Formats: sequence, C-alpha cells, structure tokens
Amino acid sequence: MLALLGGIFLLHLTGIILLLAATINNAWWVTDTISTDIWARWVWVNGAWNYTDLPDIHTYGEEYLQAVQASSVLACIFSILGLFVFVAQLFTLAKGQRFAFSGMFQLLACLCIMIAASIYTDRFHKNEAQGSYGPSFILAWISFALTFLSCVIYFVLRKKTA
Amino acid sequence: MTRTRGGVFSCGSLLCPPSRHLFLHPSIPPSLHRILSLLLWKTFTFDKQTFHHPSSHHTARHVVFSGDRMITLLTVISVVLLASVPRSESIVIYTGWERHALVGSDVRLSCSFFSWHWTSEDVTFSWSYRPDGAKDSISIFHYTGGAPYVDNKGPFRDRLEFVGNPARRDGSILLKNLDFGDNGTFTCDAKNPPDIVGRSSSVRLLVFEKVPVQAGVITGAIIGVVLGLLVLVVAIYYLMRFLVARRVFSLSVSKKKGKGKEGSQQKQIF
Repeated sequence: MLALLGGIFLLHLTGIILLLAATINNAWWVTDTISTDIWARWVWVNGAWNYTDLPDIHTYGEEYLQAVQASSVLACIFSILGLFVFVAQLFTLAKGQRFAFSGMFQLLACLCIMIAASIYTDRFHKNEAQGSYGPSFILAWISFALTFLSCVIYFVLRKKTA
Repeated sequence: MTRTRGGVFSCGSLLCPPSRHLFLHPSIPPSLHRILSLLLWKTFTFDKQTFHHPSSHHTARHVVFSGDRMITLLTVISVVLLASVPRSESIVIYTGWERHALVGSDVRLSCSFFSWHWTSEDVTFSWSYRPDGAKDSISIFHYTGGAPYVDNKGPFRDRLEFVGNPARRDGSILLKNLDFGDNGTFTCDAKNPPDIVGRSSSVRLLVFEKVPVQAGVITGAIIGVVLGLLVLVVAIYYLMRFLVARRVFSLSVSKKKGKGKEGSQQKQIF
C-alpha cells in the first residue's frame, strides 16, 4: 500500500517537473543557431548564445503565442496545486472514497498542457525549411501523457484505510 | 518655584551632568558658551535642597523639564546655530539622474537651481550634450539676456524646444522625435549673478525600442481569469454546501418545536 502511494506521488511529481521544464526552458523549436519559444529566443552569435526577444507579435504567431504561454503556466499551477490537494486528501478523505478533487486538478492540468502543445503544433513553424522540435516541446507532450495517467489513477483509486 | 512640565526621573551617575560646565559646540564663543551652559543646567536640574525624595537615602539629583526656561533655551540655541551655519555662496543645480524614453517620443529634461540670491535678470541656462562613448560635449542650448537660443546646426536642430520658466528658476528643454543616436549625457549649467560658483548637473538619456506591452498582458489576463474562475467555483461549492446544511438544520429544529407546541396545547385542552 505504501509502495503504491509512493509510486503515485512520484508519478505526480515527475509530471510537475516535466511541466516546469517544458514551460521554463526556451527550447520548443531548435535549429543550428536558434533555440526559441515560448518566452524568448536564444541566438548563437559570434561564439556565444545571446538572449533576444521573440519577433514582433503580429508577425510571429499573433496572439496564439500568448495562449500557449498562458495555458502552459496554468498547467504547471494546476499540477502543483493538485499535489498539495492529494496530500491533504490522504489525511482527510473517508474510507472508500475516491480522490476526486486531486483527479480534477490533474485533469485540468492535462487539458491545459494539451491545449498549449496543440496550439503550438498547429500554428507555429509550419513552413520552416530547417530546424526541428526541441526538448521542451517533447517534454510538453510527455507530461500530457503523465498527467492523464495520473488523473485516471486518482479517479479509479479508493482510499483503503482511514 | 517654576512650573514643571514633562517627566521626572532620577539621575544615574552617567546621565547627570557632573558639573555645571557642559561641553557644547566648539564653534560657540566662550562667553556665549558660559551663558548657554548655565541656562541648560538651570533648566534641567533642581537643587538638592528644594527637591529630594524623603524615603531615599542617597542624594539623587532629580531632573525635571521646566517649561518656560526650556522655550527660551531652545530659541537661543536655534538662533546661535543658524548664525553659525556657514552661508554657502554657491549655486546648486538639480536635474534628474536618468531619463528613459521610447524611440520617436518626446522627452522633457528638467533643470532647476537653488540660490541664496534673488533670481536676477541676467540668469543664464546652458545645456550641453555628450554622446555615449564620445569624449567631447557640444553645446545645444543657451538662455541669456531674457532670450533662449536653441541648436540650429547640431544633432538637435529643429528638435529642441525651450519649455522652462527662468523667472521660476526652471530651465527645462523638450527633445522631440528621439532616435537611438540621442543616447548620452545632458549637462545643465545655470548661473544666477552674483551667484556663479557652482557645480553643473548631468542627466543621462536612455532611448528604448518599442516594447509590445500587449504580449504579457494577454497571457496574464488568461491566467488570472482561469484561476479566478476556479476560486469562484470552489467558493460557490462550499457556500452551497454550507447553506444547504443550514437549511436542513433549521427545518429539523422547527419541526421539533412544532411537535412540542402541539403536545402542550393538547395537554391544556384536556
């Protein structure tokens, strides 16, 4: 029982860490000299990485960039809140009840990161010749899978001992 | 017996002045020093004979603030201090420290001065500009003889305007349509005859690109709205639970009361 709880806790924690890495690291799209999105752009100039602003809002993805930023931040927030709610529910839930509240938070986090990653996949870098999706992008989709799994576990799990 | 205002506290050995000779400021002449120290002593202490606590055996000096003596002393001290402050004859010029502006916008560089003399008619204001990285500065503005002279050959021709009021000691200028080449240090020098000795003051101008404020605003708005909705939903949920519980509770109480009254009425009838 304790191992199961520990495993679920670790799964949730891993989801949080991956979400944070995807949100904070500016590496959703990578080429030889650029590592970009969703907050700023790293440009390799004269042997050093320079931190520059993203191109003008009206030419680069318009307002979709803000939507991606907002939903990925929200996903992080919901996941972290969900962790605290899970720990609280461990102590306050009656026997036989489901971890509905924490499941709700994980579901919201899953939805938010799915929205962020989908918008980014659909609206950005459609016609670029070179470059590929970077580590942050991949982590965003992986954390979608992890949070979904976590949410399902919370909705299925029942509290055994009071 | 003088009126006493303020607190009474007994004087330990450190607090009590050991003798009537107090050490005041060294700039005060000796005769004045003697008068002042005597006044201080009389104001702040009573003689042992006139006031001592009957129960205490040790002869403690009690320090009491005496009202009107205090006022005279304070007036004398303030007059002396004001007289002894060295009158600085130099002019003091105030500008900002740094000014930030966007490309294409206008910026007002303010310059004002403080001087002990009245604002004379021959007051002059002078602005000079030193670009970032350059060593020399060029003069871009001069106000003298009641008339302003703006730059008509240098980098600020047709972009400089005098918006100050020399009568009110204000020598501010307005720079229009800024460009990145206007980054640099602007120095204001003002002279108010006969007050001409003074340090000039510099303000640094920093010109920035246009920053799209909208970017962060939309993101923040989305996050704020979603979190706010979440908090609202949770609050409504708990409120409904609380209200429903209360309603159920009050219903059960009223039912019990109703039954009790019926029972008592029946008893009365029979």
